[in-house]
Amino acid sequence: MTATPVSPYQGRPGGENVFARITENVARIAEAPRPPPAWYVAFGISVALLLIFISNLALVAWFGVGLWGTMHPVAWGFPIVNFVFWIGIGHAGTLISAILYLLRQDWRTAISRFAEAMTVFALVCAVVFPGIHVGRPWVSYWMLPYPNQMGMWPQFRSPLEWDLFAVGTYATVSVMFWYLGMVPDFATLRNRAAGPVRRVAYGIAAMGWRGSSRQWHRYERAYLLLAALATPLVLSVHSVVAFDFATSQLPGWHSTIFPPYFVAGAIFGGFAMVVTLVVPARQFFGLASLIQIRHLELMNKIILATGMLVGYAYAMEFFIAWYSGVTFEQFAFVNRAFGPYAWAYWTMILCNLAAPQVFWWKAARTNVWVSLAVGIIVNVGMWFERFVIICTSLSRDFLPSSWGYFVPTAYDYLTLAGSFGLFFTLFLLFCRYLPMVAMAEVKATQPSARVR
Amino acid sequence: MAKPKQAGPVTPRPGVPNDDVSFDGLAPGVCRIATSAGVALLAVSVGLGATEGDGFRRFLHSYLVAFMYVLSLGLGALWWVTLQHLVGARWSVVVRRIGELLASSMPALAVLSLPIIASVLLESDRLFPWVDPSFMQSQSALAAKRPYLNPGFFVARWAIYFSFWTALGYWLLRCSLAQDATGGTGPLDGARKVSPLAMIGFAITATCASVDYIMTLDPTWYSTVFGVYYFAGCVIAIHSAMVLIVVFLQHRGRLTRSVTPHHFHDLGKMMFAFTVFWAYIAFSQLLLVWYANLPEETVWYRVRSQGSWFFVAVVLVIGHFGLPFFGLLSRHAKRHRASLSFWAGWLLVLHFVDLYFLIMPTFYPGGVSWRVPDLTTWLGLLALFVADVARRARGRNLVPSRDPRLAESLAFENS
Repeated sequence: MTATPVSPYQGRPGGENVFARITENVARIAEAPRPPPAWYVAFGISVALLLIFISNLALVAWFGVGLWGTMHPVAWGFPIVNFVFWIGIGHAGTLISAILYLLRQDWRTAISRFAEAMTVFALVCAVVFPGIHVGRPWVSYWMLPYPNQMGMWPQFRSPLEWDLFAVGTYATVSVMFWYLGMVPDFATLRNRAAGPVRRVAYGIAAMGWRGSSRQWHRYERAYLLLAALATPLVLSVHSVVAFDFATSQLPGWHSTIFPPYFVAGAIFGGFAMVVTLVVPARQFFGLASLIQIRHLELMNKIILATGMLVGYAYAMEFFIAWYSGVTFEQFAFVNRAFGPYAWAYWTMILCNLAAPQVFWWKAARTNVWVSLAVGIIVNVGMWFERFVIICTSLSRDFLPSSWGYFVPTAYDYLTLAGSFGLFFTLFLLFCRYLPMVAMAEVKATQPSARVR
Repeated sequence: MAKPKQAGPVTPRPGVPNDDVSFDGLAPGVCRIATSAGVALLAVSVGLGATEGDGFRRFLHSYLVAFMYVLSLGLGALWWVTLQHLVGARWSVVVRRIGELLASSMPALAVLSLPIIASVLLESDRLFPWVDPSFMQSQSALAAKRPYLNPGFFVARWAIYFSFWTALGYWLLRCSLAQDATGGTGPLDGARKVSPLAMIGFAITATCASVDYIMTLDPTWYSTVFGVYYFAGCVIAIHSAMVLIVVFLQHRGRLTRSVTPHHFHDLGKMMFAFTVFWAYIAFSQLLLVWYANLPEETVWYRVRSQGSWFFVAVVLVIGHFGLPFFGLLSRHAKRHRASLSFWAGWLLVLHFVDLYFLIMPTFYPGGVSWRVPDLTTWLGLLALFVADVARRARGRNLVPSRDPRLAESLAFENS
């Protein structure tokens, strides 16, 4: 940063003009005739996994959910674990675009587009699972309240029904947020388009954006209002998911700290996923000057902070289980740590509590490879957290004669792996065709944009 | 505007240009009025407590509510100042010193907590039924809690909490005062470096304190989110208190140029945000307990939803969430001193109602049993708390005037 920043309206494009440099840096990715070779490799793997996903879903739809290991007493096996995992991933996007916006954290502009895209794709992955878990996916629409001749109406007292509306609202607002932010950038791509196809396609997406001051004024107002509307959604969605568990009487599920604990965990896992995606993307597409080590460090600090919040919830659950004096509560937690699923529990503790502790050191926070490694480890840990909550509690409840042990089948594993295929396919297409960094927003945070 | 200072300190204190940031002129008056009001109100409370003829049982109940109130101000301040260092906040530099002066009130709060500790040490079950060994033998679930609920460990925990809070509050203030003397960011490094660990320590101690002093009043009841609930109240209280303090100081010609509507706007945003957060936590706890309908949990809400306690619950829903939500929603309300200070005062009163609702129904399950000492003890402890803070503010700037980020905070604009 120079002492006297060059005015954004002067200088040669691509030279000392910082605005032009940002546009060039981001737009060239979508305009390049070919993506980097690594993109093809990643896309090939992702599409292969996506095909595995689709074929597994087809098999389950054809033969039934008996293909899974889901069986009494663990009636919520992998599908619900995966659902909660993917829903949680999305939270970082809303937090970055809504809460960090309201908190005036300008650094968010570098990663907001990524995180918002990730939110939308994670939601796509998430909603698949309850849809197939009901067993007859072709009547999944029965979950919706619509007038019908069957005299059927959803059970509104069930948190599972609340989920439908919580996730639906969340998906709607996330898509609107993502799209609204991209409108000025679509207009940039339209203006730079070399051929008619691109010009028309990006032109339709830009919805007649001309960049007039009136349009910018409306845009800023809309963005602020959407941010204010989306902020409660950061809390509400995963709180309702937490209600799915905590409204029950099952020891290990029924805990009043579940809603804020799930939210903290979701932000934790979501930020880890942002780091996991950002590190390779900035490397392959040469975005290091926009998504800087500084941004990585701040994300790692949030991962550390939310990881501590999750640790607080773990500790509080154990303390209250002991303090309550209720035998079943105490057993549920001893069983988690030392029962048949101890391997999953300690995997979770190592990944979620131990691994992020390296971020106490600046050298670790500012190292891309350490960040990437911890990001992946935390994602593994957060998947195991949901597995531990669901499977340990269900497998051993009040009555020892009804205990069991959940063993996932190959279809469970392949569906899980396949959902990553869906996620990464969508994400790689996003990297290829859409503006990966919010150009207009990043420009607004440059020192030279502060015209007084 | 700026008053000449007669009895100047040894080292000249640089102030803020065109602003009076000294509390010296006001301190004697505030201290005198607050101390005498506090002592008089407490004397009235003790006198009225004696007339009850129940061995000060009723008085101690009022006292616990009042103490948890002033403790929430101290804890809220401690958290707030630690947070500013943790995130490197720049907007808040102009009001940070007020937070530091509030946060260093822990020795006084430790003294004020002595009646509660005494009731446990004297093995009286006036406050905590678990002090009585025969009560603890009455249920198997209670007998299992003996390792936690016994007078020895209770007092040991109290000592740990207050040592930690006192040390932290003292350290945060000391680093900041050292900066007044030398300038530069160097002296604040100490505060910045301890802030992450201090935050962890705060989370553990504040949670355990809320469990110890409120949750264990009903030793069979438990809720994992209870610490967060009390914490939400602390955060609302501290931001509201800071608004009222700044408005009072500006009324007396202090900080008139340092603290602008932009700073009030941010304080108001925090009040608004944590009002919603409080409602979120309170609702989550209620919904989960109600839905699962487990006897050992619902008993707590059963008492609070019957008779006149139900109306207190309604007052909380409307007064602690509904009205301030709409009242603080607009930008206008947060930027104008009259409206913001109204809501700050409102929330501070409702915070008292909230603590009353957390504590009192356990003692009086039949319905609200209002006594004059409930009010006088609360106001008395509050006055003594104010006197303690005012005494510490004497001879010190109300703004960390040599913080290098002060210029940024003074020029801060809130869009």
